[in-house]
Amino acid sequence: MMALSQKVNVEYNQNGGSVENPVLDKKVVYDTKDLNLWYGKDHALKNINLAIYEKEVTAIIGPSGCGKSTYIKTLNRMVQLVPSVRISGEISYRGKSILDKSYQVEDLRTRVGMVFQKPNPFPKSIYDNVAYGPRIHGIKNKKILDQIVEKSLRGAAIWDEVKERLHENAYGLSGGQQQRLCIARCLAIEPDVILMDEPTSALDPKSTLKVEELIQELKKEYSIIIVTHNMQQAARISDKTAFFLNGEVVEYDQTDVIFSNPSDKRTEDYITGRFG
Amino acid sequence: MAIRESFHSQLDSVKDHLLEMGTRVEGVIDQMILAFASSDTGNMERIIQDDYLINQLEVGMHDQVTRLISRQQPVATDLRKLIVALKISSDLERVADLVVDIAKQSKRMKKDSLLPYQVKIVAMFTIAQEMIHKSLLSYRKTDLMLAQKIATMDDKVDSLYGELIRELFKLNEDHIEIDQITQLAFIGRYIERIADYATNLAEWVVYEVNGKHFDLN
Repeated sequence: MMALSQKVNVEYNQNGGSVENPVLDKKVVYDTKDLNLWYGKDHALKNINLAIYEKEVTAIIGPSGCGKSTYIKTLNRMVQLVPSVRISGEISYRGKSILDKSYQVEDLRTRVGMVFQKPNPFPKSIYDNVAYGPRIHGIKNKKILDQIVEKSLRGAAIWDEVKERLHENAYGLSGGQQQRLCIARCLAIEPDVILMDEPTSALDPKSTLKVEELIQELKKEYSIIIVTHNMQQAARISDKTAFFLNGEVVEYDQTDVIFSNPSDKRTEDYITGRFG
Repeated sequence: MAIRESFHSQLDSVKDHLLEMGTRVEGVIDQMILAFASSDTGNMERIIQDDYLINQLEVGMHDQVTRLISRQQPVATDLRKLIVALKISSDLERVADLVVDIAKQSKRMKKDSLLPYQVKIVAMFTIAQEMIHKSLLSYRKTDLMLAQKIATMDDKVDSLYGELIRELFKLNEDHIEIDQITQLAFIGRYIERIADYATNLAEWVVYEVNGKHFDLN
């Protein structure tokens, strides 16, 4: 395996924060070391080593059942909702181990937002969907909430489409608008990282394009990790790509390299459609 | 994702079409060498007239590759195969144009002025022809070792071209008309360029396999 973390020198200072990466001049957001995960007896992730960098789009590709969704669900510990899960190894987020029991999962999920395959707005108004997170965090001031809602909706490139109907039910929006609303809801809590699990697979081409454009904008402020079945999408929008196969990371490199001249034949065979 | 068998058979067909084009270009070089050695202006004229056929093959190749790229969005080796097919077809078309240039110049040559240089020029031309043949063979078989051998043959053509030019410099108008000297120099130069294109072809074979540009010169 040609892991990017082997090519670059990832170091941590004594306070546990990541230091400037000497090669890429980017900080590591997530560093995964020797991660193994089992669902009962099923060994779903095998010795995963990945360093994910800030303010980049990292795409995770691979055939169904290769462990890519499982992997991103370990990054916000959602995977631990499955009772039979057993994990070994380490995942550090901003230098702190998130698998450590002392790490509050609520803190983690405030810093790490997630967008799912199917848009899942709450059965509330557009406004209340976005204001939900900030309200849970104790923000009650109407003016401040108004500002957060507008900023988040603008950030998710949907403000102009909904500004006249903020108090209508979110279910009245199209699928693509609902997905951007979910992204706005995610932005409202000002996360550091956004995890996206096939965020456009239920959208039409036009909405897909809008979400892809949005991802390019969002990476200026946020670090994005996206699982996608659409390899052209990974090639279009990501900076780095990890190819998962049978629970292992076969190859992790710059997206340019993965899609033009990958090192591993299995990656080549997968991206050129020779299997999968 | 479904296994892309039909796409990969279309990729094979691109290669087959390109090799057909290569065979035709080799044929034109062969005819030109014969016509040059026998000062057969009729055959030279035919070469000039038939060049459009090779141009059509190049256009066809461009269309085929453009269609595949737009419909299949190939990546990695598959994409390189198509890019290389485009580059090689353009290079082959240029080779055929150079043969036409040689035919045009040769038609203007007087038999007497040509005679003392015919052997050297045919020798150069034969090496250049073999280089094109071997480059296409290395493409057909994806044979990198063969591709790398083309460079040494190019050195030989360059050295023969140098010798020819030095000899032509020594001539004066008492021996040969000045425009005949120029024609000879042009013919030598065109053959030297054909050899360069053969080296290019070999470089594209290396690129198709490794994804890296490699200067064989």
